[in-house]
Amino acid sequence: MRSKSMLARLLVFTLCGVFLFGGAAFGADKVIKIGTLFPLTGPSAVSGQNCLNSLLAAVEVINNAHPELDMPLAAKAGLLDGYKIELVKADHQGKPDVAKSEAERLYNQENVFAIIGSYNSSATKPASAVAERAKKLFLCGASSSAALTERGYKYFFRHAPTDAIESEEFTDYISWLNKEKNAGIKTLGLFYENSEFGKHAADEAKKAAKEVGLEITADVPFNVGATNLSSEVQTLKAANPDAVFGAALGGDYSLWVRTMKQVNWLPKIAINYCTGYQNPAVQKELGADGNYFMGGMSFSPELAEKFMPEALVVQEKFYRPLANQPFDSDSVQEAVMLMILGQAIEKAGALDTEKVREILASETFVSPLSLSGEVAFAPGGQNIKALSVITQIENQKYNTIYPEKFKDSEVIYPMKPWDNR
Amino acid sequence: MGNFLQVLIDGLLNGLLYALVAAGLSLIWGVMDVINFAHGEFLMVAMYLSYWLGFLLDIDPFISWIAGGIFLFLLGAVTYRLIIKNSLGKAAMAPLLATFGLSMLLKNFCMNVFTPNFRLLSGNWLEGRTIAFGGAIVPLPQLVTALFAFAVLGVLYWMLKKTRLGWAIQATAMDKEAAELMGIDTERIYLLVFGMGGACVGIAGSLMTSYLAVYPEVGGLFSLIAFVVVALGGFGSIPGALLAALLIGLVESFSGFYIAAVVKYVAVFAVYLGVILLRPRGLFGW
Repeated sequence: MRSKSMLARLLVFTLCGVFLFGGAAFGADKVIKIGTLFPLTGPSAVSGQNCLNSLLAAVEVINNAHPELDMPLAAKAGLLDGYKIELVKADHQGKPDVAKSEAERLYNQENVFAIIGSYNSSATKPASAVAERAKKLFLCGASSSAALTERGYKYFFRHAPTDAIESEEFTDYISWLNKEKNAGIKTLGLFYENSEFGKHAADEAKKAAKEVGLEITADVPFNVGATNLSSEVQTLKAANPDAVFGAALGGDYSLWVRTMKQVNWLPKIAINYCTGYQNPAVQKELGADGNYFMGGMSFSPELAEKFMPEALVVQEKFYRPLANQPFDSDSVQEAVMLMILGQAIEKAGALDTEKVREILASETFVSPLSLSGEVAFAPGGQNIKALSVITQIENQKYNTIYPEKFKDSEVIYPMKPWDNR
Repeated sequence: MGNFLQVLIDGLLNGLLYALVAAGLSLIWGVMDVINFAHGEFLMVAMYLSYWLGFLLDIDPFISWIAGGIFLFLLGAVTYRLIIKNSLGKAAMAPLLATFGLSMLLKNFCMNVFTPNFRLLSGNWLEGRTIAFGGAIVPLPQLVTALFAFAVLGVLYWMLKKTRLGWAIQATAMDKEAAELMGIDTERIYLLVFGMGGACVGIAGSLMTSYLAVYPEVGGLFSLIAFVVVALGGFGSIPGALLAALLIGLVESFSGFYIAAVVKYVAVFAVYLGVILLRPRGLFGW
């Protein structure tokens, strides 16, 4: 009797298993697995999690029908004839070696069709090398090191403007300020994290500064996650450059700003690459101390209102419930890359890596989440339509101050000193 | 001269903070021969506690250090009772791995509950206040934190040298069995030492919230520097920890300004290796 009862229980379990897992297996046929590789833990975890949330928002747009959205892939549910995107998430902790091994795992064991990532340029570099060797697609939203698209890779595509583009934009702006506002900016200080991203940004800044005759009087790299930035800021203060270009992520950015306040020093202007400056959460914590700093951006809620209305809808409906804040300039670019990949798959008509790669390399894509409204890639994978503007933050609002076409506010120059705010 | 004085002050202030962070570790390591790998995460927990007390209840870090000290004392004592006690006397690596596991647990718990966001407490009593001194600027939050550090280390030193409890702790550190034969309850001493170690880092973490951002990874480099301070100063020595921490703070500050900011930690670890090579038991080891 007892063995019969046991047999009956086993049968029920087996049937449940067949219904639950068998059903999932049958459903899994129409799934496109996309790997996501971001720093979900470690010093850049805030930005990494924002990037992932941004991708989850894009997945929602693609997988379900949203006829109310005026953007490609929104009207129907899924891709091709009903394929759904499934994200396979991986965490590289901000470490290049982990990024490389996780990319290998995603391609070889998880069999993902493509990877989107990896925020830190230092992690994107080895992870995309894995993709290139395996002839698999690697799409990058926010990593800005120009070196990434100078390798001649065929399977790598990047949305963000490079540090080279931003450096030229920053020095152009300084020239404009000198000419139009008689700003008298002659010297430049560089403050950057000692990483692939920071060092490359500094190299590009040096080249751009030379072009316009700016003298570099302080060259200050720092260690990521330092316990204090006293010596670094003291070095900047001693050199007292007119302008500073900054490349400090998250907590390092807020520590930098607070340390400058402690020693009561500011340059006339401070312009930031893709850093803690662009992160609304960091600015919220800094409050009024964050005011008057500047940075290159390709997205802000204020810009979106004028030039990217659909991005605001996606933000409010799908991103904010996950991230509890608006899109930032970095994270939104990861969503763009998934939308572009989706369009390329649709145009290819099949999940064929080579066909999709050819389409990515040759066509121009409509992109309502991008400031330029479209995306096209040059050989090597750089988005030639990439656009960024210079903003200045005031009471946690990003005012666009340059170029003239996008400008919505006058610059506050020079930055107001700490003891006069 | 202004620069030199500023660099000197920065080095001393940072050094005193390192001393307070390292004191608890030194005590635990010196008495129990246990390396607490979760020390940095204890610091992080104290910072979160102080942050939330400030954010939700408007309690300034210069008050909430009391809560931080008590809470971390209890956390240290519970850690000893539930984790360390069971791993002592087993494989040599068992306590070390157990505290490593605890560090992962605490870090990931905070990562999931509080998210990896950087949280900066605003509106503190001393926020943005400075004292001008001979051309240098002394930030008051750091100065008061450093003075607290000095006072806590003084109390700890006095307790170890002048009280019966302190003598019992020293006796337990020197020879546990002999101490037991003399009637010392070494189990209780271990529990108290782990608790006191937690309290020191709890006070440090709470005070640091007055000028540093809190996030789940904040303890990483602080704990690494604390290990260097303890090994340099000598295991279990509070004056050793103080002098080593001041040395580390000054080396970091001067090398960072006069050589290059990026080499400041290189210089710190080079000094550490040099001292250990010449005097393996540290400057004042038991």
